Amino acid sequence: MGYVTDAVRAQLHRRTPRQTSAEAIGADSLRRFVQATMEPNPIHWDEQAAAASRYGHVVAPPLYPVHAFRRPAGTPDPLDRAFTDPEWDGSGNRDDTGLPPLPLGLDRHLNGGSEVEFYALAAVGDTVSVTHEYVDAVDKVGKSGEFVLVKREAVYTNQDGQVLLTVRRTGIHR
Amino acid sequence: MSQVETTRLIAFEDVGVGDELSPIVRGPMSTAHLMRWSAAIENWHRIHYDWRFATGHDGLPDVLVNGSWKQHLLVQLMREWLGPSGWLWQLSYQFRGMDVAGSTLTAWGRVADKRRFDEFGVVVCEVGIRNGERDTTIGSARGALPYREGPAVPYPFPQGLSW
Repeated sequence: MGYVTDAVRAQLHRRTPRQTSAEAIGADSLRRFVQATMEPNPIHWDEQAAAASRYGHVVAPPLYPVHAFRRPAGTPDPLDRAFTDPEWDGSGNRDDTGLPPLPLGLDRHLNGGSEVEFYALAAVGDTVSVTHEYVDAVDKVGKSGEFVLVKREAVYTNQDGQVLLTVRRTGIHR
Repeated sequence: MSQVETTRLIAFEDVGVGDELSPIVRGPMSTAHLMRWSAAIENWHRIHYDWRFATGHDGLPDVLVNGSWKQHLLVQLMREWLGPSGWLWQLSYQFRGMDVAGSTLTAWGRVADKRRFDEFGVVVCEVGIRNGERDTTIGSARGALPYREGPAVPYPFPQGLSW
């Protein structure tokens, strides 16, 4: 029987509308990001080093586009919730992909890993867009019972439509 | 932390199966490091910086090093090893255990396979992040390297390359 019904399969391969970062990649946000990752490669801040590289200009580390979607100025503050809910974990709306939840009828969700492919690096001044899609859902049976492996894919592009990277995340639903 | 040597170039022919990548060691990871990362990406999940919440509410042993930070460590490992003439094409990883504040993390890698394509070669590496005696992250990576007498690895890297 399984959990992957026709209703689940109907949600596969339906790409979400493109979401675009509210701001272009700025030198200051890139600097803070690079310092926080302890990234040692000067092509991420030094114009001279970057000019001598294949990129020709300062570029962001490969995974930066995943983090490019910040809360725009003037929008509701998610931390307002902490004023009234001291037990709130602060994680906010972590699943902001725009994908509908799959009707699996399963409550537990575990991170089953990620597969990333890199094609180009974003540059200072670029805006990043992303689309999401469920690409697979498969019933499985393991030692601890039945579960479903769900794969979803995010495709990140720049303002010219150049694909920067793709990220496939596997979710384990029990 | 020093800047990487940007002139180190390696070719596909220079690499052998079984070669060890130069490890990257970061730590002990302080709560200041974790807070700096959370602030840089505007992630306010309290398990990464609020000890009282992490231990008292979520029952964790301490605040946790972010998985989103650890993935960058594997990216750095591969890119520093591949050098400026290489290209990190694919990276896959699974988080197998928690890393708490105070941990020293070592990203490691080993060449597991090589394959020749027309214009460049691809090296497959087993990678991971070790915390003490445990590999808390495991994965694999594929990086492209130029042939010694060949053209540069194309940039942007081509999509649709079949393995």
